Amino acid sequence: MLAFAFRKVLTLVGTMIGIAALTFVITNVAPGDPARLVAGPNATEDMVTTIRTEYGLDKSLPEQFVVYMGDLMTGDLGQSIVTTRPVLEEVLRYAPATLELVFVAMAIGIIVGVPLGMLSAVYKDGPIDHITRIFSISGVALPAFWFGIILQLTFAVDLGWLPVSGRLPLVTRPPETVTGLLLVDSLLAGRLDTFWTALRHIILPAIVLSFPCLASILRVNRAEMIEVLQSDYIVAARAHGIASFRIVAIYALKNALLPTLAMIGLRFGWMLGSTVLVETVFDWPGIGLYAVSSALSSDFKPVIGVTLVIGFFFIVANTLVDLAYAWIDPRLRSA
Amino acid sequence: MFGKILKNVAVAGLLASSILAAPADAFERTDKGNVIVFGGRQAIPVLDPHIRYDWSTRMIQQSVYDALVKYEGNPAEIKPWLAEKWETSADGKSWTFHLAKNAKFHNGDPVTAEAVRYSFERGLKLNKGVAWMLKDFLAPENIVAVDANTVRFDLRAPYAPFLSFLPWWFVVNPAEVKAHEVDGDYGQKWLTDHAAGSGPFKLGRWEPNVLYEIEANAGYWKGWPQGEKNRPAGVIYKIIREPAAQKAALQRGEADIVEGLTPDDYIQIKRVPGVVIQDHKGMTTFGIKFNTQKGPTADINLRKAIAYALDYDALIQIYNGAASLETSPLPDAMKGHVAVPGMPRKDLAKAKEYLAKSAYPNGGITLPYVHVAGLEEARRIGLVLLDNLKELGITVEVKPEQWPNMVAAGSKVETSPAMTSVFTTPVSTDPDAVAYQYHKASWGQYYAMMFYDNPKVSEMIDQARAATNWDDRAKLYADIQKQIVADQPEVFGMLQNRRWAHRDYLQGFKFSPVRFTGEVDLYPMWVKAE
Repeated sequence: MLAFAFRKVLTLVGTMIGIAALTFVITNVAPGDPARLVAGPNATEDMVTTIRTEYGLDKSLPEQFVVYMGDLMTGDLGQSIVTTRPVLEEVLRYAPATLELVFVAMAIGIIVGVPLGMLSAVYKDGPIDHITRIFSISGVALPAFWFGIILQLTFAVDLGWLPVSGRLPLVTRPPETVTGLLLVDSLLAGRLDTFWTALRHIILPAIVLSFPCLASILRVNRAEMIEVLQSDYIVAARAHGIASFRIVAIYALKNALLPTLAMIGLRFGWMLGSTVLVETVFDWPGIGLYAVSSALSSDFKPVIGVTLVIGFFFIVANTLVDLAYAWIDPRLRSA
Repeated sequence: MFGKILKNVAVAGLLASSILAAPADAFERTDKGNVIVFGGRQAIPVLDPHIRYDWSTRMIQQSVYDALVKYEGNPAEIKPWLAEKWETSADGKSWTFHLAKNAKFHNGDPVTAEAVRYSFERGLKLNKGVAWMLKDFLAPENIVAVDANTVRFDLRAPYAPFLSFLPWWFVVNPAEVKAHEVDGDYGQKWLTDHAAGSGPFKLGRWEPNVLYEIEANAGYWKGWPQGEKNRPAGVIYKIIREPAAQKAALQRGEADIVEGLTPDDYIQIKRVPGVVIQDHKGMTTFGIKFNTQKGPTADINLRKAIAYALDYDALIQIYNGAASLETSPLPDAMKGHVAVPGMPRKDLAKAKEYLAKSAYPNGGITLPYVHVAGLEEARRIGLVLLDNLKELGITVEVKPEQWPNMVAAGSKVETSPAMTSVFTTPVSTDPDAVAYQYHKASWGQYYAMMFYDNPKVSEMIDQARAATNWDDRAKLYADIQKQIVADQPEVFGMLQNRRWAHRDYLQGFKFSPVRFTGEVDLYPMWVKAE
């Protein structure tokens, strides 16, 4: 088990170095002059040079790469040329908002997707099955950007049920930061009203983010359930007169969940990467938004930093899924 | 069994929806008073007044800092602010400013001549942001604090636009800045998200990428134009990036004023009860810049042919009428503007005449038209051009490009596209702010990506900026405008109106064309509460 863990850590470090190198090259070969952009539209050449020198952009690309990788080894992700702040500090500031959004979206995906997949399988080829299949296809097909705006217009503007954007109302002071997750921190601070407000703010973006994930979970779970429900042991259980709910929800579901779990792991990483659009529409101050605004300003260090963070969480999520696999299916533990 | 579960889920959903329903908010009320919420698309990464000055940054800078003078009104005029009065020497090289004696920084320190001297020295030595405005004419050692309330600037040479830049040189409190210096950085790190000013507002919450709050400075030395009773408790600048979300926030009352809606959005939101549209003629010019040094557009006859082939009315239609055609390279609101006779308008016969005189009498060429990716109006103008130039046998390739890449390509003759759409907002009302874009010394800047070179024009621009007599300058600028139009380095398009949408309870909006795109003066604004 220790050897397994060691191998995983080595893979993690190697992958991170690979991601850093690749992103550094891609961002730096892209056209654009960040120093000129930051210097402003009227800046003279010597003003641009001042900024270029300050941020080490006057060095050759290989030199910049060596310096960057050296800094990276000490945990320094560099400095943003646009905000002038350390990238690590900014990533740590924005990451909790993204993680909170992804956690809630994932919870929605699982809580809604798994039962719907189960229902769809039980009532295969019936009206419920058709409806859920249309629902799942829509989930994959709908562009998040469009879907987000439609939800805003419907639930925030027309019905007035939920806020348009942001994490909290403007005049609400956030609770003291412990985890950075507003829902958790407000509970820890005993501020139930803030918890409720934060929940109202996260619902729409979380639904938009969860929709494709929910659809995938639903489809995979449906397919697995259909297969499992035709198994001999299920037929035997029915013959013994066990209640149909118990058969489906307990005996069949547990076996059908394995591939769903793999899907959840994959989708977690995917969600982290795709928060960009949702965060833009809902002005959710997470790392996706940070990455986009940095990329649009040719501010490369934050782009590399965010890529590394997303890569890190992606690998960690997949490792956890590997472990969960072994936990659910004892046959895999010896493999 | 499952049917029962479904029914329970539906009932739970309905219950949840009724609980979630909450009335729409109005302006924010706090125990200190009403807070105005401004919904803007652009973040404020660095507040330091000598480092950055885009529109959102400058709007907050102007609120927390004061300058010697301030732009106000339409047309924009320079009004005394920290400086009560000033005089110029006969040779136009020496400027002396007399400061208001009651001006105080937020911490109570008086605003002295030394603070002004330090602020200008800081701006010049850092060599960032606003430095370009004065660095060629003013050396840090030539700023003299004559006494506690008098400061003198000795310029290297007469520079007529000097005063027109001063509203953007904000004064910082040297004591506070020096106290936060790290490794001789002039307090740059600290001033990124702190302020050391004397303005009508103090800095409140600063949540990067989310919101920036400023709180009213109750004892502001210049008082409040709306009266102490009506002044707001503060302003929250909230970042709302998408126009659709901005519109929704305004409708819901989550924002009191928004900028940057699409032309169609303005028409729709105008019908919403309680919403007011501010629609004013701006100074932002739209031009299609030709590369005048390389490729087919180096041919003046081809440039003229394109200028006469464009359907100018379509430009106005794209903005649903909220724009006006340029009558000169200088915007109408700018001092010294003259309507140049013979400004090209659509005339196909004339276009074909010029084409026949060019090196491409039958067309048969493909020209790129580059615009900023995501800027819908610029893309639609490209489509108009594409359609219009078909009649000359010229194919237009409409190419969206990210702004940084566009600027990079436009900084060199070799890489600058044949046609690039560029919006330009001058930083001052002095004609030099636009005229100098056509000086050869501006090559490499985004607004000079036409690489225009007419030595006679450059010479006249140099003469005009050094002249101390306005009549002499006005004559020179009239000639400059006519010559630039004759050389056609770009298609002179239109002046897009500046627009904001706000709730009707928001009072005190005062437009001034010299402000940048979404920028407003927050100082006189207030909420008329029932």
